Amino acid sequence: MTVALLVIAYLAALNVARTRLGLPEAEGGRARPLVLAGGSLLALGLVAALAGWSGPLLRVLQITPETFRIAAGVAAMLAGAYVLVTPRPAAEPVPAGGWAMLWPICVPLLAGPEVMALAVATGSGEGVPATLAGGGSALAALFLLGLVPRRPVADRVLLWASRCLGLLLLLVGVWLAIDGIRDV
Amino acid sequence: MARRVAVHLLILGLGLGVFRIAVVPAEVCPVVTTAQVNEAIDEAAAWLLRGLGEDGRYVYGYDRDADQVSRDYNGTRHAGVTMALYQYAAAGGRPEVVAATDRGLAFMLDRLLSEGDWQAWQSPGEEVQLGSNALLLAALAMRRQATGDPGYDDVMRGVGRFLLAQQQPDGRMHGYWNPATRQAVPVQGKFATGEAAWALALLADAFPGEGWGEASLPTLDYLALQRDRDMGFLTRMPDHWAAYALAELGPGHLDEVRSGYSRRLAGYFGVRLRFEAQRRGSGLNLLVRWVPGTPAGVGTAGEGIAAIRRLAQEDERLADLVPNVEDRLACFAGMMVERQSTAGEAAAYPRPGLVQGAWFYRGYVQMDDVQHVLSGLLAAVPVIEAREVAG
Repeated sequence: MTVALLVIAYLAALNVARTRLGLPEAEGGRARPLVLAGGSLLALGLVAALAGWSGPLLRVLQITPETFRIAAGVAAMLAGAYVLVTPRPAAEPVPAGGWAMLWPICVPLLAGPEVMALAVATGSGEGVPATLAGGGSALAALFLLGLVPRRPVADRVLLWASRCLGLLLLLVGVWLAIDGIRDV
Repeated sequence: MARRVAVHLLILGLGLGVFRIAVVPAEVCPVVTTAQVNEAIDEAAAWLLRGLGEDGRYVYGYDRDADQVSRDYNGTRHAGVTMALYQYAAAGGRPEVVAATDRGLAFMLDRLLSEGDWQAWQSPGEEVQLGSNALLLAALAMRRQATGDPGYDDVMRGVGRFLLAQQQPDGRMHGYWNPATRQAVPVQGKFATGEAAWALALLADAFPGEGWGEASLPTLDYLALQRDRDMGFLTRMPDHWAAYALAELGPGHLDEVRSGYSRRLAGYFGVRLRFEAQRRGSGLNLLVRWVPGTPAGVGTAGEGIAAIRRLAQEDERLADLVPNVEDRLACFAGMMVERQSTAGEAAAYPRPGLVQGAWFYRGYVQMDDVQHVLSGLLAAVPVIEAREVAG
């Protein structure tokens, strides 16, 4: 997978439109920038850790990277299908202060099972730098989207964008699974 | 909020558990030594030779639980087993194996018939088959490698001409020849076309400059591009015989189509062996992965990936495949050494000689089960040796 395709895969897995719908907001309809940045960095750190340790992790689990790609593909397909059915995330309780970057931004909005599986798969396949480039670009896009006040951006647009990214994630999952099957 | 976190963690944990069991069970690849692999090879060859009767026929199959020897027989499998035994002899310089296997060879040579300029053997009760003759030719080529004896060179060329007589302009091969009508039967055998391509490639190695290698190329291209569609397969067939043919012809004959085909074949064999390594045959794993696969099926994947390894080592375009291909081959060797019936296990059955050294699928072993695993293990030895040296 090229870096450009990785960016697309992470945009779909992190589903910036769906995540935007669930972000805690400040007055004016903007996402709380510090909390969003913190949550995004935490998620990126988790992606980096999983990608970096993907080799030892898969060895411990006795799974070849090629076979794990199939699993990541299945996870992406399931997550993509779920998003198609429920394009808006569940409203989660938001704790006071900076804790919001951990819950609900990092978990469960960003670091879902499909993102974690993708991080392991691309970490062992495409490498850590490419994975960070893909994940980082998608999170940067989310941050920019978070700065746009929610009101002008109709929820309906975000919902449709969420569905489109869910469909894209489904396709990424199919592609990953086929790649894992065809690989040696 | 704590409740929501707990619910998420619970769903995540359950999801991980289901994934581990159903999607990515551990791929268990026992680590084995060269000595263990060689012992397994010797045991397998001994099983085949114990089953070789004075009439030149092998034991076709044995059900250890019912203590029943199969009455079936199949000419192509007979030729395949004979070929594998000569492969075994060629790998270790074993003249006593050649002498014994010559009985299996005589079973075929006694049934040779001629038509025009070609020769072919006909197994009792069967038509003249492309596959059984391709494997007779392969057996003779292996015997020649084992002994250096040119005594059957004319037969090899005669059978080679039979293969050419079955070949069509687009490379496909008619699978049968009917002695009553003296006509080729325009039906393809599932594996026969690949077997014929390999046999022609082996002829090219034995008799360079006679055009046999060039003759195999249209058939190889047909296998790469058209065969699966023509035969109505839903998925591409992992044809280990085609892999043997590609390896035998070597990089000099590897154009873009054949190179791509080699890569695809490597993928088919690779996923087959990875999947096999996930099978335990017990508990929850039995429900999601069923019992370990037929030894013949696993063996052909081992043979195929070993052939691709040989090719990838010689061809830069495929060099990136070597590490994974070697991992899968080592895994194949580990799995099959572990699954082989030992003398101790065999002692519990009425006929230990038909159990020891064999690989069973749900209590039954067939001659081609042992043949394919034997050939695969022979090809895996260099990888296991290299890993031992490297520590």
